[in-house]
Amino acid sequence: MEGNSDDERWSGMISAVAERKDRAAFAALFEYFAPRIKSFMRRSGASEASAEELAQETMLAVWRKATLFDPQSAGAAGWIFTIARNLRIDYYRREHRGGMIEASDVEVEFQIDESPLPDSRLVSAQNEDRTRSALSKLSEDQMRVVELSFFEEKAHAEIAQILGIPLGTVKSRLRLAMTRLRNLLSELS
Amino acid sequence: MSIEHHPTDPMLAAFAAGTLDHGQHIAVATHLVACSQCRAFTRSIEQVGGAVLAGLPPAAMSDNALANVEAQLNKPVRLASMADTAPTVAENEVPGLPNFLRRYRFGSWKRIAPSVHLRPIVLPYASGTRVFLLKSGPGTKMLEHTHTGIEMTCVLSGAFSQDGGHYRPGDFDLGDETVDHQPVVDPGQDCICLVAMQGELRLNGLIGRILQPFIRL
Repeated sequence: MEGNSDDERWSGMISAVAERKDRAAFAALFEYFAPRIKSFMRRSGASEASAEELAQETMLAVWRKATLFDPQSAGAAGWIFTIARNLRIDYYRREHRGGMIEASDVEVEFQIDESPLPDSRLVSAQNEDRTRSALSKLSEDQMRVVELSFFEEKAHAEIAQILGIPLGTVKSRLRLAMTRLRNLLSELS
Repeated sequence: MSIEHHPTDPMLAAFAAGTLDHGQHIAVATHLVACSQCRAFTRSIEQVGGAVLAGLPPAAMSDNALANVEAQLNKPVRLASMADTAPTVAENEVPGLPNFLRRYRFGSWKRIAPSVHLRPIVLPYASGTRVFLLKSGPGTKMLEHTHTGIEMTCVLSGAFSQDGGHYRPGDFDLGDETVDHQPVVDPGQDCICLVAMQGELRLNGLIGRILQPFIRL
């Protein structure tokens, strides 16, 4: 996991793109993230050519959406991850349609800060920058099981094999990671 | 008061990682519209995603990749989206329907049992999960049923009770092979739920077995 200082540096670069269309900052972001986004796409089954294209598309979107980046509510890497994730989902949906061109809008399914249901008991919007501090408090071990389980979609038994730990440990570590995130979020709210 | 019934943490994590199938993705997103607590949780998983992304070994980009992207930076953007297609659901027709769902194509209401109506949501491509709205009249006692796969339900309007729990708008229910459901709708108001259903629904009991071939859920 990258340290916070890296993420702050990347945040600064995204802000530079947003504020003054800073091409040098964009090139630096591209140099670091494009090959990793490509790697992310390859891991989720995209071909070499598609992964390359999706990585380029993601970086183009980073440029275009930079003004929407809010360093108070998301880390730079996390924000770029959401863009890559949405493009990947869109790509798979398009593929399943057999190349038929039908507009889809994955973004809107994640933009869920719309007006709440007409039920007044709903909690009002909360300060969400607490998620960042919550993240930094997961241990390396916990991060790793979360990564393998949810981002690489490995079965618990497979994770046990990869990490060389008992199955029970995988399960308890995952549960602890989830609980820890939940607790940190409620402490910070 | 806040939302009482939530998706499981692993389900929310899979949502944030972007690995849920389309139908289940819609059901969880519907809950998230109402639940800021789960929203905060998925945001924190997205930040984990950022750390995962930043830590991946790089895969070499093609030589002209940056130049290729830079050439497009100043081009005007044409954002095609479902927003371009006219909504098939009127604003006041389904109370509590999140806006993102209005962009999908809806089938028409079908009566599937006394005072129970179903309205399919048409996904752009075939998914293993079917998504539909289920509207049940006040006081309806739904047929007891189990499933062959996972069923996600999120209340949009009205309310029902089930297994000692009370489900109101935003509340989320997960059913699987092991759960016997017999929800009872509150009196006084229709209850509309969004349902994402994997596999087949099995109605228990004699009436269910008689009805089953006809309603084909």
